This record gives sequence, structure tokens and C-alpha cells, in this order.
Amino acid sequence: MFVELNDANFEAMVAGTASGVLICYKKRCPHCMNMEKVLEKFAAKNADVKLFKLDSEENPKALAAFDSERAPTILVIKSGAVAARKAGLMNPKEMKAFFEAA
Amino acid sequence: MKEQNVMDLIILGGGPAGMTAAIYAARANLRAVILEESVTGGLVNSTYVVENFPSYPGINGVELMQKMRDHVDSLNVSVEEVCEIERMELEGEHKVVETDEAVYTARAVILATGRKPIPLDVPTACEQVHHCAICDGGPYKGKKVLVVGGGNSAFDESLYMLSIGIESIVLTEVMDRFFAAQATQDELLRTGKVDARTRTRVVDLVVENNELKAAVLEHCDSGARETVACDGVFVFLGQNPNNESFRDVVALTEKGYVIVDRHMATNVPGVFSAGDINDKPYRQITTAMADGTIAALAAERYVRS
Repeated sequence: MFVELNDANFEAMVAGTASGVLICYKKRCPHCMNMEKVLEKFAAKNADVKLFKLDSEENPKALAAFDSERAPTILVIKSGAVAARKAGLMNPKEMKAFFEAA
Repeated sequence: MKEQNVMDLIILGGGPAGMTAAIYAARANLRAVILEESVTGGLVNSTYVVENFPSYPGINGVELMQKMRDHVDSLNVSVEEVCEIERMELEGEHKVVETDEAVYTARAVILATGRKPIPLDVPTACEQVHHCAICDGGPYKGKKVLVVGGGNSAFDESLYMLSIGIESIVLTEVMDRFFAAQATQDELLRTGKVDARTRTRVVDLVVENNELKAAVLEHCDSGARETVACDGVFVFLGQNPNNESFRDVVALTEKGYVIVDRHMATNVPGVFSAGDINDKPYRQITTAMADGTIAALAAERYVRS
């Protein structure tokens, strides 16, 4: 369900995405695991939204570009650009509102 | 129309108690489902290193819980995560639990909902207050943090934070001693980077332009106050029981923990309870698993009666 991004491809992937959500995670971050499930539920109801994930600890260039030291950091992508950014966990209702407001 | 699922056993909560119950239930050929409001693993997921689980001298909490989840999955137990309970009927022969996705009915329910972190009670709101060092420790490399709490979590997470480059820690505990395992206390204090204080409470935070600058500490006996500079606060004050969904039906102690007999049975026929949500003196992964085992075996007997 998630396309994995890295330092080599994140800029091109974001630029080529009309509607998407990117989660910047850390491998052993429990809130990140929770947030991935929230995003899966969100995507199940929003078929046109692409899901991306990026390991912040393995990709320092992307970590700096997205300011994603905190995990999870969620970015909404619209029309090829980051439209909104938020660090921390959200429940499904909050995620829906966050995406719609972006 | 939501999916309707008839089960033998509904398990509310997917921590070590709930997952152990699921394993025993599945092996007893009960159709079981775990309904978990977050992800399976519970509070163990937030533990960087578990050192007291027999079999592993030291293992990451997420890794340990993933092994347990793999075992649950191998038995084809249904698991619904990030699950919002909308309705629950525990009394009567057929229990009903309705989530945002489906409706489940079963003759037996195991409550394994565990606990959630106690928040820091100070007048000033602040975004730099956290409960998870793995999630939120990164931005504090080279900086100073305040750790509130003197138990295992506070000490373990402090060791983790020093390992990722936090410069120094002030650690506070209101009681007259720390409660972490002595070996962990010794290990942390040996680093020379921790100012650990007993009989000390956090009374307020100093925030300027949305950024934490300092914390106001007060000595519990003398009342003397001191403002200490810090960039972030990590709170490990223990947990409160997650009993909102059933507290009007199931008998609880004054502190909100479920009262059970030696079969993990509650006052409601067909409703059992296991893990940290139970009234008991010791809450560990191993005791949670023991509760889950007993609850599942008792639930099996009940379902087949």
C-alpha cells in the first residue's frame, strides 16, 4: 500500500504526485506503526490518494528537507508540492480533517 | 450495512495479555477476534529495551511484540487495529461489540484494554512535552531535557536518550526514592549526565514564543522552588486504566481497575479480564501473559458450557 521513498527519489516522487500522503517514520517508533494503520484506513476511503513512507533515520537529506526529526511526521502532497505538515499521531477523524484542510 | 461477525470470543485490547489470550483461544479452536484501538503490542511498544522477559536478556519492545503478533497471525486470529468502539453490550448471553467497521457478537469477552500514560499536570500548555523518547527524542540531540518520573520507564528512556546524544537530563521523582531496577539506576547515574532528584515535583513550565525554556521545580518538603533550563520534557508518571467503555457495567476498584477472581472472571457472566487493567499488585509483561492465559482457558470453559 505504501511506496517507499528515499534520498534518491523523494523530490521527483513528490513533484509527480497529484494527491498523496507521506509518513516519515522511524523503525521502532510505536506511534509510527499506529499512524501507518490510520493512513491505511484513510486510503481505503480515498482511493485517489497515494501513500508514501520514508525512513527518516536512513535518509538524512529527506529528513532535513522535511524537518522530520520527530516521528511520525505526516506531509500532505497536493499538485506536486507539500501542502501541509504535522508531527505526531492523529486518529482517523483528525487525519481526514488535516488532509481536507491542506 | 456493517459486516456482521459471529465469534466465540471477543478480546478487547491487543497488548501482551490480549495476544496471549488470542493464542490460547485459537489453539482451543475458538473463533476469536482482537479489537485494538491503536496497534497490537500495547505499552511494550514504547519500551526501547526489555530486559526482564524470560528468553531474551535484552530485546526491543516493538521487536518482542512483533514476534508475539506473528504467533497470533500464524493461528489466523482476526485482528482489527485503529479500531473505534461505538457500542458495547456486555450483559446478556450474547455480547455485542460494534466498531466503526463491523459488528461482533460472541458469548464471551476478555477485557485487556490496559492503561494509558498519566499526563503532566501543570498550568502552562506546551508542545515540547512528550511520552515517547523513540518518537520524539531526536530533535533534542545536544540539548537538555527534563524527565518526570522515577520508575523503570523514566530510567530506561533516559538511557536511550543519552545514547542518541541528548546532552544532559534532569530527572525528578516526588517520592523519597526511585523505583527503577537498581541495576538501571546505577547505569544511568554512572553516566554523570543526569541530575536525579527525589522529593521534587514539576509545578510549571516556562514557555516563550511557543518554545519551552525552563521548568519550575519545587521541593516537596521545603517548598523551595528552582527554575531549571530545559528544551523538552519527557513524562513517565505511570498510567491510568482504560476503562471508559465498560466502567458502568463491570465492577471496578476505586482507582478504576477491574475486579476479577482467580479465573479472571468479572462480575458479569461471560466477561473476563486480563493484564494491566486488572486490580493486582504487579504489572509486568509476564503477569499480563499469565492473566491472558487464564482468561482464555476460563472463557473456553464458559463458551463450551
